[in-house]
Amino acid sequence: MGGRPDRELFRGDERPVRGARLLPVGGGKGGVGKTFVAANLAALLARAGGRVVAVDGDLEGANLHTALGVRRPNGSLAAYVAEREDDLGKLMEDTPIAGLRLLAATGSDLGTPQPSHERRVQLIRDLRRLDADFVVIDLGAGTDAAVMDYFMVCDDGIVVIAPEPTSIENAYAFMRAAFYRRLQLAMISHDVRTIVRVAMDEQNDRGIRTPHDLLREVERIDPGEGARFAATMRDFHPRIIVNDARTAEDIRLGFAVRSVCRKYFAIDAEYLGYVNHDVAARSSIRDCRPLVEGSPKSSASVYLARIASKLLAPDRSAVREEPV
Amino acid sequence: MRPLEEQGLYDTLEVSKDASPEEIERAYQLARSVWEQGSLAGYGVFESGDVERIRERVELAYRTLRDPEARRAYDARLEEAADAAAQPAAARSLDPLQAMDDLNEAEGEFDGERLRRVRLQRGLELEEIAKITKVNPTYLRFIEEERFDDLPAAVYVRGFVVGYASCVGLEGRRVAKSYMTRYEESRDNPRRRLFSRR
Repeated sequence: MGGRPDRELFRGDERPVRGARLLPVGGGKGGVGKTFVAANLAALLARAGGRVVAVDGDLEGANLHTALGVRRPNGSLAAYVAEREDDLGKLMEDTPIAGLRLLAATGSDLGTPQPSHERRVQLIRDLRRLDADFVVIDLGAGTDAAVMDYFMVCDDGIVVIAPEPTSIENAYAFMRAAFYRRLQLAMISHDVRTIVRVAMDEQNDRGIRTPHDLLREVERIDPGEGARFAATMRDFHPRIIVNDARTAEDIRLGFAVRSVCRKYFAIDAEYLGYVNHDVAARSSIRDCRPLVEGSPKSSASVYLARIASKLLAPDRSAVREEPV
Repeated sequence: MRPLEEQGLYDTLEVSKDASPEEIERAYQLARSVWEQGSLAGYGVFESGDVERIRERVELAYRTLRDPEARRAYDARLEEAADAAAQPAAARSLDPLQAMDDLNEAEGEFDGERLRRVRLQRGLELEEIAKITKVNPTYLRFIEEERFDDLPAAVYVRGFVVGYASCVGLEGRRVAKSYMTRYEESRDNPRRRLFSRR
């Protein structure tokens, strides 16, 4: 997790009133279905009448365009990253789905695929200014700063997990990274920021392993910052989706992970819902068409639709209800 | 979110304050499976000694909330804490002259009609009180109308009345004590029930 923090990124209170709502879809682990979930949720939100932009945030492994049925994208985020183009609008294109536009990420310069820090700040600001209701961002794997920043600028990004230990392990690392990065930006005092940086290293010699330990330490150093810390903790609500659930045990896993987040990490995660295992999902990927478009009646589509309707609920408390 | 030690017992079991015994049992079974050795959800985080601390907290929550007696005592403590927290906020929003009137109001018996009068003096709608206390406005109305048979168990009603009273700037506990005497009398006396509005 490199890169230096920039206050510009963390301005929850200065968000434009009518700006686009960013919906980053991450999870740390590759292959858990982030792109599948992102493509289908984007399609469902567009179908519900929203103006949606699907952004491929995976500059080193772009394939959101394929999932949305766009074989050869004309524009690419890569041109913006390379500073050849400043207007994101010119890089977007229509998809076969009405109301859904795509910002692809093909054709990256493999030497320097990621935007510079300043460029990334600019990108997030420009994404918020897009003329759209939702901007769904499909994130790459890992917890690199280039991935995390899209996630941590939002109060309620989506974390996709698969019911297997490798995914769980990476999901915790992912949420932890997002939280600490966010925290580092929210803190003002130099001493406290230093402590947060120490805490980011899991092997730190101060014995700070969880946000809870860190809060104690911060409160000790600076009670004012402690209060700000608590507020940051309170506002951070990553939302969990269990993908490819096969058993009741898998479905319950979402509650279990939420419980670990709340009790161990003191992160107020929510369980947004699950998508069950469905052979139709695999064939939709082969057909290069979102499942909800090709097989809207398949069972996985039904569960995806439930999740989308929660995202559309105007009241946050409605989103925070139990899934199912 | 606050660290575990500062989370309430209901939050610890992740149930609502009016959870039924069955819901509490289910939540406890789930929590046990989450925090047992080798659980999938705990993968990669269970190496630390913190897990023992969390398990103890879960056990404490279960022991307290499954025992009706202990749960009532805990709820009462919660109400007192909420009461204490609500008082200064209510006091801040009042002007001193009105507060002096309230001192007179705070004497004698409190029935539903009197609560309603104080509320109207304050210019508050039931919905506003509902928003602050998180009590269903229908129950607040039943409290004013003294529809005791339509209200839930005493332990809940007491909490509702404390919340209501604090909202209108009255002393929650004193009002609740007075009001609950009326409530209990009605419940103990079936003849009177026949005449309650239904």
